[in-house]
Amino acid sequence: MKDKNFEIVSVAQDTGGVKDAGPAITAANPSFTVLIDEKHLVTKLYNMVNVPTGVWINEKGRIVRPNEVAFIDDRFKPFTGLDSAPYIGALKDWIEKGDKSVYAMSEDRMRQKLTAADPNVVLATAEFGLGEHLYKAGHAGEAIPHFKEAQRLNPLNWNYKRQAWKLSDAKKDYGTTFKEEVDKIGGGTKYYPPPELPAEPKKNN
Amino acid sequence: MKYSRFFIALSVFVLSATLLASAKEIHATIVYDDVATEIASARQESGQLWVTTTDLTRATKFVLKPEGACRDELCFPIPKGRTAEFENTVSGKKFFNVTAFAALVKQPVARDEALDTWYFGLRSDQRETLTSMQSPDFTLPDMQGKLHSLSDFHGKKVLLVTWASW
Repeated sequence: MKDKNFEIVSVAQDTGGVKDAGPAITAANPSFTVLIDEKHLVTKLYNMVNVPTGVWINEKGRIVRPNEVAFIDDRFKPFTGLDSAPYIGALKDWIEKGDKSVYAMSEDRMRQKLTAADPNVVLATAEFGLGEHLYKAGHAGEAIPHFKEAQRLNPLNWNYKRQAWKLSDAKKDYGTTFKEEVDKIGGGTKYYPPPELPAEPKKNN
Repeated sequence: MKYSRFFIALSVFVLSATLLASAKEIHATIVYDDVATEIASARQESGQLWVTTTDLTRATKFVLKPEGACRDELCFPIPKGRTAEFENTVSGKKFFNVTAFAALVKQPVARDEALDTWYFGLRSDQRETLTSMQSPDFTLPDMQGKLHSLSDFHGKKVLLVTWASW
């Protein structure tokens, strides 16, 4: 996917910062930009609910594909059952054809996809932010009720769950584990909704 | 439905009357734009947080001006006739209600009562960029601490992708 007009910006959503995200970056030694986001700012700004989440942004800074599951390799395929090839194929098509790619959404299509944020979802961002602040300020115990409140207000957001569990003893403090939650929804293959890619390229317009 | 505005006004009035009676001086922590500021003498009244105009600027970078609460180019006028909800003078010091201001600018607030910590999330003007379909900009460090902004890549196609160690 190397192209002079294309960049990957990969952002780690890790409250633990370099300490937690660093080893994976060092091991992967990627050729693209990798940033550390201790405050989960990108999750907040883009209303993301899981990782990996990908957003396509064109040369003018307009979003042409909003939040979706974005695997650019098959490391987690055994768990998710998701093949990264269709997504990578779509990405390559876009890199080559730009806004004319069938995978790039028009402004109208994008507008249909955008919905006004639910007030609970907005409030959840603040509860999560408060939880993170308290955790970092040395109040790990006091952070838990706020993480729980964020999870209650926005139950679809996995970041709120998984980050909070990571900072704690999930079983003891939250009465659950990632595995239990994934089993509840029917296993890893249900965990990630596959990207909705058009089945076959249509004529460019 | 036509009475609802009256009842809201009435409850605000009754509430404010109760609040003024129960004002409490506290040491508060305000987290604004993900930066924490300690406020040595704030006032708390039934869930509403009042800080001096000096502390307002220290914690939020907003300055109270005749035209409203302003930060750089951004100015939010205080609605006419509602000044009392936002401004108050106690022992010669002017206080500003930061929680009422948050409600005005549709900013979510989370509070830890025991620690008197108040977290202010993104204001509606900071969230609206998404509805314009422009990608919200951000500046974050890489592993070496060097800062990068999404806007640095303007003119190129970008795949923005999040991940995590957890």
